[in-house]
Amino acid sequence: MRVFSIFLTLAIVGGVLEGAHPAARQRVAPVAPPDPSLHRALVDRYCITCHNDRLRTAGLSLAQADAERPGVSAEVWEKVIRKLRTGAMPPTGMPRPDPATLDGFVTYLETSIDRDAATRPNPGRPALRRLNRTEYANAIRDLLAIDINARASLPADDSRYGFDNVGEVLTLSPLLAERYLAVAREVRRLALGDSTIRPAIEQYEISKNLLQDDRAGEDLPFGSRGGLAVRHDFPADGEYVFQVRLQQNSRQYIRGMQQPSDLDVRIDGRSIQHFVVGGERRGKSSFVFSSATMGEVAQEQYERTADEVLNVRQWVEAGAHQVSASFLDDTSVPERPLQQRMTMYDYSQYKGGTAGVATLVIDGPYNVKGPGGSESRRRIFVCRPSRAAAEEPCARRILTTLARRAYRRPVTDEDLRALMTFYSRGRAEGFEAGIGLALERMLAGPEFLFRIERDPMNVAAGASYRVGAYDLASRLSFFLWSSIPDDTLLDLAERGRLNDPAVLEQQVRRMLADARAHALVTSFAAQWLQMRNIASVTPDQERFPYFDDNLREAFRTETELFFESLLVENRSVLDLLNADYTFVNERLALHYGIPGIYGSHFRRVRLADGHRGGLLGQGSVLTVTSYSNRTSPVIRGKWVLENILSTPPSPPPPNVPALKERDAAGKALSMRAQMEQHRANPACASCHRLMDPIGFALENFDGVGRWRSTDANAPIDPAGVLPDGTKFSGLPELRRVLQQKQGEQFVWTVTDRLLTYALGRGVEYYDAPTLRAIIRDAAPGGYTLPSLILGVVKSTPFQMRRSES
Amino acid sequence: MINLGKTIPRRAVLRGLGASIALPLLDSMVPAFASAPPEAIDRLAIFFSPNGMNMARWTPAGEGAGFEWSPTLQPLVPFRDRLLVLSGLDNSIGDARPGEGESAPHERAGGVFLTSTHPEREGHVGVSMDQIAARQLGKATQLESLELGLHTSELVGLCEKSWSCAYMHTLSWRTPTTPVPVEYRPRAVFERLFGDSDSTDAAVRRARMETDRSILDSVAEAANRLMKSVGAGDRARLGEYLDGMRDVERRIQRAEEQSAREIPTVERPGGIPATYEEHARLMMDLQVLAFRTDLTRVSTFMVGPEQDNRTYPEIGVPEVHHGLSHHQHDATKLAKIGQIDAFHITLFRAYLEKMQAARDGNGALLDSATILFGCSMSDGNDHLLQNLPIIVTGGANGRLKGGRHLRYAKGTPISNLYVTLLNTVGVPMTAFGNSTGALSL
Repeated sequence: MRVFSIFLTLAIVGGVLEGAHPAARQRVAPVAPPDPSLHRALVDRYCITCHNDRLRTAGLSLAQADAERPGVSAEVWEKVIRKLRTGAMPPTGMPRPDPATLDGFVTYLETSIDRDAATRPNPGRPALRRLNRTEYANAIRDLLAIDINARASLPADDSRYGFDNVGEVLTLSPLLAERYLAVAREVRRLALGDSTIRPAIEQYEISKNLLQDDRAGEDLPFGSRGGLAVRHDFPADGEYVFQVRLQQNSRQYIRGMQQPSDLDVRIDGRSIQHFVVGGERRGKSSFVFSSATMGEVAQEQYERTADEVLNVRQWVEAGAHQVSASFLDDTSVPERPLQQRMTMYDYSQYKGGTAGVATLVIDGPYNVKGPGGSESRRRIFVCRPSRAAAEEPCARRILTTLARRAYRRPVTDEDLRALMTFYSRGRAEGFEAGIGLALERMLAGPEFLFRIERDPMNVAAGASYRVGAYDLASRLSFFLWSSIPDDTLLDLAERGRLNDPAVLEQQVRRMLADARAHALVTSFAAQWLQMRNIASVTPDQERFPYFDDNLREAFRTETELFFESLLVENRSVLDLLNADYTFVNERLALHYGIPGIYGSHFRRVRLADGHRGGLLGQGSVLTVTSYSNRTSPVIRGKWVLENILSTPPSPPPPNVPALKERDAAGKALSMRAQMEQHRANPACASCHRLMDPIGFALENFDGVGRWRSTDANAPIDPAGVLPDGTKFSGLPELRRVLQQKQGEQFVWTVTDRLLTYALGRGVEYYDAPTLRAIIRDAAPGGYTLPSLILGVVKSTPFQMRRSES
Repeated sequence: MINLGKTIPRRAVLRGLGASIALPLLDSMVPAFASAPPEAIDRLAIFFSPNGMNMARWTPAGEGAGFEWSPTLQPLVPFRDRLLVLSGLDNSIGDARPGEGESAPHERAGGVFLTSTHPEREGHVGVSMDQIAARQLGKATQLESLELGLHTSELVGLCEKSWSCAYMHTLSWRTPTTPVPVEYRPRAVFERLFGDSDSTDAAVRRARMETDRSILDSVAEAANRLMKSVGAGDRARLGEYLDGMRDVERRIQRAEEQSAREIPTVERPGGIPATYEEHARLMMDLQVLAFRTDLTRVSTFMVGPEQDNRTYPEIGVPEVHHGLSHHQHDATKLAKIGQIDAFHITLFRAYLEKMQAARDGNGALLDSATILFGCSMSDGNDHLLQNLPIIVTGGANGRLKGGRHLRYAKGTPISNLYVTLLNTVGVPMTAFGNSTGALSL
C-alpha cells in the first residue's frame, strides 16, 4: 500500500482537466520545500556508480540530469521513477537508501515534474489515422445498418504498442485502395437494395471441431441443440433458398444418422420449415468408428447424402433478418456429465452421436418484387422526391445527412459539390442510382476513411490547443465504440455543449451503457490481453486430446464476460488480478472441475477453492501463454511482466540452447527442473530471474489451463520471489501480492494501455503526469474501470493537441 | 451478413441452388489475342489426382515410341504424339524416417509431391517447383500463379494427429512454411482474374472503369486538398492513399488497354455446378481463360485433395475413393480404382482438348505449355512414393517431343524431372530438392 498513501496525501492534479483551460484550474498543494542538494547527493551515492557518462549502464546516465529542476530533465527522471516505483533499482545486492528516503525522493521527482507539466502541458500530436478494419465495419454498420464481413473483405491491419488502431502503422497499400473501391460498391448495393440483382450465395460455416451437444447460443431457441443463428442482409424483397448441410466425420459420413433428428429453420425466431433427417436403414452400416471398411452401398450412400433434402424456399422481405438452423433437443435426461468426452481424434473418426449443422447457405433472391423497405433504405431516404424539380433538393438533403455522419463533421460546400457530381452522373439511371453512386464516392473518399484533426488557423507553432468539438466527438466514439459518433454526439458538438465537463461525463456514461461499448471488450481488452490469439492456438492433440472448439469459445467468452463485468458493475480493475468470481458454462466448468453446472449458457459462479480467480486463473490467458505441447513458465512470466506490471524483460540473446527434457541418466525432468538447468547459464539468468518465478507459480495449470498438482511425476513447487524481493508460497499468495503490493503498478499498466488505445499513439514520458493524475483521481473510488476511462477522456492529451512545430 | 454467431466463418460462394446451371465459358469464347504476342510464352500447368493409381492398369507395356496403350491411359490416344509417359521416378525423400512417430502417409505424400523435401508435421517443407516457376514467369503477368481445386481447403483442423492439413489440400508452397491455398469457387476465381463486375462484356467493363476512374479523380482531388491543411507527417499518410489510388488507376488503365483485345465475352459464372464433372470442366475453362488472357502463366489443378473420400456414383463407383485405394489386392476393388483413374484421365483429356482449342495468336496453348500430370503416390494400398505415375505433355514451345514411354533406373528422384521441367519453361536451375541432376526426356 506504499504508493496508495502517497496518492491520498498529495492533492496534485497534474494533467486532468477540470474546467475551461487545463492550466487554469490546477490545484497545486504545497510540498515541503526539499533541499535539492540532498537529492543530488542521493543520486551520486546510489546511482551514479553505474549510470554515469562513461559507463551509461542500460544506456542511462544521470550525471547531467537536473535534480533541482526535474521538469527540465523529465525524460530521464521518468525512467528513474519507473525503476524506483517497481523496486527494480538499485539492484539487489547493491546498497539502497532506506525506504522512506527512497519514497521521498520519488515523490519529489513526481510532484516537481507534475507541477511543471501543469503549467506547460504537452498533449502530443496523434497522427492522422486511417479507420482500421474493425472501425470501418462498425462505421458502415452505424451509418447504414449493414454488417459487412470485414475480415473477408479487407486485409488485416498492422499493430504497434499492442493495438491495431495506432496511426503510425495504419498504412495503406494499393491492395487496400482497391478493396476500398470494391467494398464501397458492395455496400452501396446492399444498402440501397437492388431489384436487378442476380442470385448469389452466402455460406455460413461452423467449425468441424465444435461439438453441437447443447444450445449453441443466446440467439437460438430454448430447448434447441447445436446449429447456428446469423444476421443476414437480404438485398431485396424476394424468394430465397435456405440450404442446411450437416457435419461429416473425417471419412465423409454424416454424423448421427443412426437415429432421426428434428431440424428447425427459423427466420426472426419464426419457424419456416421443420425437417426430420436420419434414422433410415437401407442395408448394413459400417463401424461407428470409421475405417477403410465399408457398409452396404445403399446404406453408405444414405449416410453420406441424407442431408441433401434439407432445402427450403421462402419469401423474405429486404433488410437484415436473423436466420437460424438448430435441432430440437429431444431428451431432458441429464446424462451428459456421466460420459467422458471423446478425444478430438476419435471424434473425427466417429460417425455416431448426434447430428450437427456444418453449413447454412442462403441463396437468392429469386422472383424479386422490389428493393423493399429495409432499415438501410429508411436511413438513407430521409426524403422522397414527388416530382422532378424536388429531386435535386432531396438528393442534397439525403447526402448532407449521410455525409455529416460519415465525415463526422459539418458538411462543406466542397463536400456536397463532389457528392452531387456523382449524383448527377448516376441520375441518368434513376434517382436512386444517383444516390448510390454518390454513396460510393463518399465511402471511398479520404473524408470518410481518415480521421483528420486540423490545427486551427490562429494557433502558434508547437502550441497546445483544445481540440474542436467535432474532433472530440470522434475521439470519444472511436475510443468507446470503435465507430463513428452518433447524432447525439454530433448535435452536442454542434451546439458547443460537449466541452462542458458535466455533459462530457454524462455522455461517457451514456456511451458505456450502450451496446456499442462492447468494442472496449472485443477491441481493447482482446488486444491488451492477447485474447485474439485464442482463435489460432493449436494445442497438441496428443497432449491435450480433449481440447475442442467449444472449450476455445468458452475461454474467450469467460474473459470477455469477466472484463465486461468490470465495466457494467463499476468494479475495480484490481479485480482482474484476484476476483472471487468468474463466468462458466458446462463445458468450461467441466474443464475447471466446478461441479453442478449444466447447459451451454454462461453464468456467474463464486470461486471457492483458491485455484482460480482473476485473469491468471483463466484458460484463455493460460493457453495463449503456453506452447502447443507444454506450459511455458517463461512466456507466462513474460506475459505478467508485460501486461500486468509494465516491466517487459529484454529479448533473449541469440543462440539460446534448447531445454533438456531428460537428465544425464535419461530421467524425465519437470519443467521447473529443466528451467533451473537453463538458468545456470548467467547470460540467461538475468532475465529469467524475473520471469520464471511468476511462471512457476502458474505451473499448477497445464498448457490448456487445467489444474494439476504434478508435472513429470514430481509435485508442483509453485513458490518464488518477485523482482522486488517479495516472496510468495504459491498462486493464491502471488495473486494477493500482485493485488496488494503491485496494485498501483497494475493500475498504471491498465491506464497506460487505455491511454495508448484512446490516443492511437504510444505513451511517452511527457504523458506520465497525465497517467499519475488519472490514477490519483480514480483512487478514492478504488480504481474502477469506468473511472479510469473517464479519467482518460478528461485528460490533457485526450482533450488537447499540439500544433505542428 | 452479420456475424453475431461470433466465430462462424462465412464464405460467399455462388451457386444457383434453385436455378439451372449454365456453363457460359464453354462456347462463347472469342479469340483471345487479336494479334500475336511478340514472342512465344512459356506456361506451366500441373494436374494432380489423389490416392495413387492402380498401377497394373496404368503402366503401358513396352518402352520408347512403340509402347502399347494401357487401359487407364486409353482416353489419351488422340494425344499420343505429344505424350511422354514416365515410369520409375521416386519421391522417397518423403518416406517416414525411423523413429518419426505416426506414419501420416497421405500428408507426407501431398507435402513431398512438388517439393521433393521431407515434410515436418507442423507444416514445414520446401518451396514447390510450381512456385519457383511462378516467381520467374509471374513477373510478366498480373497473377504469379493460380491454384485451383474442387475441394474446400480448411487449412486448420483434423488431419492425422497434429499434422498440418495443408499437405492434403494444396501442392503449392510459396515458402517452406507458407502453403498457397487452393480456390474451388468458380466465381472467386473469376473475380480474381477479371474483377467483380457482373460481366466481361467490354461495354459494361468500360462503363464500370469510367465510374471507378471518376471516383478516383474525385477522391484524389479531395486528398490533395486535405494535404494543404494538415502537417507534414499526415501529408505522408495521405500521399500513401494517393499512391494506392493511382495504382488502382494504373491497373484500370492496363485493363482498359487489354479489354478491347484480350478479354473474351464471358458471363461471370453463377456458382458451383451441381456435378463433379461440370465443376471440374468449369474450373478448367477458367484456368485456360487465365492462360489465354495472359493473366498468369503457372497453374496447378487438383481434381481432389490427397486422401480424398469422394464417391463416384456417376461412373458406377459409389464407394469412397480413399477406402477403395486400400484394396488389399481385391480384384473388384482394384477394378473400381481403375475406373476412377480412367475417369480422372478423361478429365485430363478434356483439359488437353481445351488447351488445344484455345489459341494465343502464336498458336494453340497446348503448343506453348508444359504440362505435368501425376499422383503423389503410386499404389495407394501401401502409400508407395516410388515408381510414380507421371505424364509430361504439351509442346513447350517446341522443346518437348512426345510419343514415348520412358522408364528410368530404379531410385531416380522425381526432382530430376522438376529440374528439367523448370529449365524447359525458361527457369534455369541446376538442382531442386534432392535432385541428382537433370532428367533427359
